[in-house]
Amino acid sequence: MSLQIKDLSFSFGEKKVLKQVSFEVSNGEFIGLMGPNGSGKTTLLRCLMDYLPAASEAVLVDMKPIHTFSQRELARIFAVVPQSSTTDFTFTAYDIVMMGRIPHISSRFVGESRADADVVHQAMEKTDTLRFSNRIFSELSGGERQRVIIARALAQQPKTLLLDEPTVYLDINGQFEIMDLIKKLNKEEGITVIAVLHDVNMAARYCDRIALLNDGVVESIGPPKEVLTPDTIHSVYGLEVVIRKDPFTKAVYVMPRTSAPFVHRHGTRVHLISGGGTGGPIMKVLHDQGYSVSTGVVNVLDDDYVSANDLHIPVVAEVPFSQVSEEAHAENLRLISESSFIVVSSFPVGPGNFKNLEAARAALALGKTVFIVRPKDLPSIDFIGGRAETLIADLIDSGAKVSEDISDVLQMVPEVRRG
Amino acid sequence: MVASDPRKPGSDEMSSVSRRRTLILLGLAGLLALSILVALFIGTLGPIGPSAQHRISYGDALKAIFTRTGEWENIFWDVRIPRVLLAGLVGAALACAGTAMQAVFRNPLADPFIIGVSSGAALGAATAGLIGLTAAVSIFLPPFFAFITALVTVFVVYALGTVRGKVYADTLLLSGVAVAAFLGAIVSFLIYFVREQFHQLIFWLLGSLTLASWDMVLVVAIAAVIGSLLIFLHGRDLNALLLGDETAHNLGVDPEFLRKLMLGVAAMMTATAVAFTGIIGFVGLIVPHMMRLVFGADHRILVPAATLFGGTFLILCDAVARTVAAPTELPVGVITALCGGPFFIYLLRRSRLGGEMG
Repeated sequence: MSLQIKDLSFSFGEKKVLKQVSFEVSNGEFIGLMGPNGSGKTTLLRCLMDYLPAASEAVLVDMKPIHTFSQRELARIFAVVPQSSTTDFTFTAYDIVMMGRIPHISSRFVGESRADADVVHQAMEKTDTLRFSNRIFSELSGGERQRVIIARALAQQPKTLLLDEPTVYLDINGQFEIMDLIKKLNKEEGITVIAVLHDVNMAARYCDRIALLNDGVVESIGPPKEVLTPDTIHSVYGLEVVIRKDPFTKAVYVMPRTSAPFVHRHGTRVHLISGGGTGGPIMKVLHDQGYSVSTGVVNVLDDDYVSANDLHIPVVAEVPFSQVSEEAHAENLRLISESSFIVVSSFPVGPGNFKNLEAARAALALGKTVFIVRPKDLPSIDFIGGRAETLIADLIDSGAKVSEDISDVLQMVPEVRRG
Repeated sequence: MVASDPRKPGSDEMSSVSRRRTLILLGLAGLLALSILVALFIGTLGPIGPSAQHRISYGDALKAIFTRTGEWENIFWDVRIPRVLLAGLVGAALACAGTAMQAVFRNPLADPFIIGVSSGAALGAATAGLIGLTAAVSIFLPPFFAFITALVTVFVVYALGTVRGKVYADTLLLSGVAVAAFLGAIVSFLIYFVREQFHQLIFWLLGSLTLASWDMVLVVAIAAVIGSLLIFLHGRDLNALLLGDETAHNLGVDPEFLRKLMLGVAAMMTATAVAFTGIIGFVGLIVPHMMRLVFGADHRILVPAATLFGGTFLILCDAVARTVAAPTELPVGVITALCGGPFFIYLLRRSRLGGEMG
């Protein structure tokens, strides 16, 4: 079965919800519809199933406009799984699945046939719902209910499943269970899947292609790794993100970089001496508060290096597994001299990066305020036979201030600037 | 792949479902027949009854009923048999209408009485009676006028309970209660205004089967049979409607058309019943709910089950109404309300505790 959407526009009264949406879906594809609330995802889905009247010729099934199909014919092509289904009425799970046969039963004067019962049985087998076949639907858990609804959809023997945020009310277990089930049906039964999904990472993991909608327009469509880029996500969701690869599935993985994307950048410069992944959280807090952060010296493979790059902040880097070179140290000192104050994270100190502590001492000598962030009950960070602890004690004696975390530091900062 | 092998699991479930359906309906039909027979025996004159002076033997009663001979023939064939049959048909019509309304409103608390449709029908029939268009002129006049006003009422209440396309259960029920009270007041006003007798008012507001005649039996039978068949034939569609408009549409059902058709049919059945017996409350609430508790919500069982049991229920309620305060008769609506009121509160509490209503 082929599905084409050509210049599909739809308005609720004056409000245009879909503006000339066009794309094609090939047989057996798994397509995710994504976009912020109100971008038109659900409306698009409802136009596909002809629940909302789309302009004629806009949705074509096997090259024919959906208006040329009867409602019952469409019910055998598309099966819908809504966000959640509840009813106060005491249907059993079996009753619900049997409802999927309605579009196949030729007349209201005949009952369900043996063949119908077999289709229902198979649908329940595939969705692992046979074991609660006789239980009351409304008494099942959210995940079980959703499986039953998917079984009902399968009983329609559709070519295409249309799902509207099928996991939105489920816990994390349930979410993966349902998505795995849908993927299985997509692979094994060859059913085309078009799903409105709210979770980008869920979409990246399961979809062959993603259509990203924004304000009724398809902003981008293609494989997840092409669609889910920091730029598209920023333009559609207004959110700064970083993209990683899931180490197990190789799917792209989207992480919000900051929850406060529009901070006032006041330009006060801070230099962070870090390493071993201890600097990332501090960097992010300082960055979110509008400071211009720099950091160093870290090795290129260090998590702090990755974090600094994600935040696009200056970082003094050293090649992996090498000592801090003189050049790097000098660069570090230069950044320190240009900063209003210095923050030192509790990075593990070894012979390779001992110079970073010396840089902190140099900062004090330059008259800079130095804050040492040292969480309570931190195991020793000294991997250089006591020299690190001695130097830290010396820093504290010379006026470095110790805080348990970065937010305490920020509370002290205004005083520093005044003084 | 069509499996005709009875050992296949799907087929097993199938045949057990249809066997169960047949058994249920046979059982309920048997119960109805039994209740008719028992109700015929019960009465001031009869084998079972409150006054010992007027005892008729079972033999004489059976003889009068089945051979239309003997000294008691008129009692049975002119009075009691039409009355019991009318009770059965009215009960069946109200219960079936209630079942359809509950599905349409997706709310187990809906019923022709609570939604105000019965009051609407009573207004039409009472007005027709007061301006001289009585059953004596034509047996079809009171139900016709009742149908017009019932239809208007059901769609007014539906519109009041719907906000931007969504039916709000609480709004719907409150609108229904308000409309019912308002229309009931108009009925009372009209009856006082034209100085009719007090018993007329009681008749309309509490319901009674005292005026039962064969004509009425015939008219209500037509309405009940056509109505319940139409509703039964849309049983699968009603099932689908309960999963929401979107799902119903996706299963090939037109939700808006189905709602209008079912409300129209329910109004027709209610109107015909009310036109001859006044407002008998709660039958359409209690019976579908009891049937749902026992047999589940599948309308292909529920509709016929509620229809059959509605008949049984009202026949028994009327038998109690006739005899419990002998020698006077209670309006049958008193008995159904005595059962229905507490039942309604129980359902309301339960749905509140369950957190979901409609």
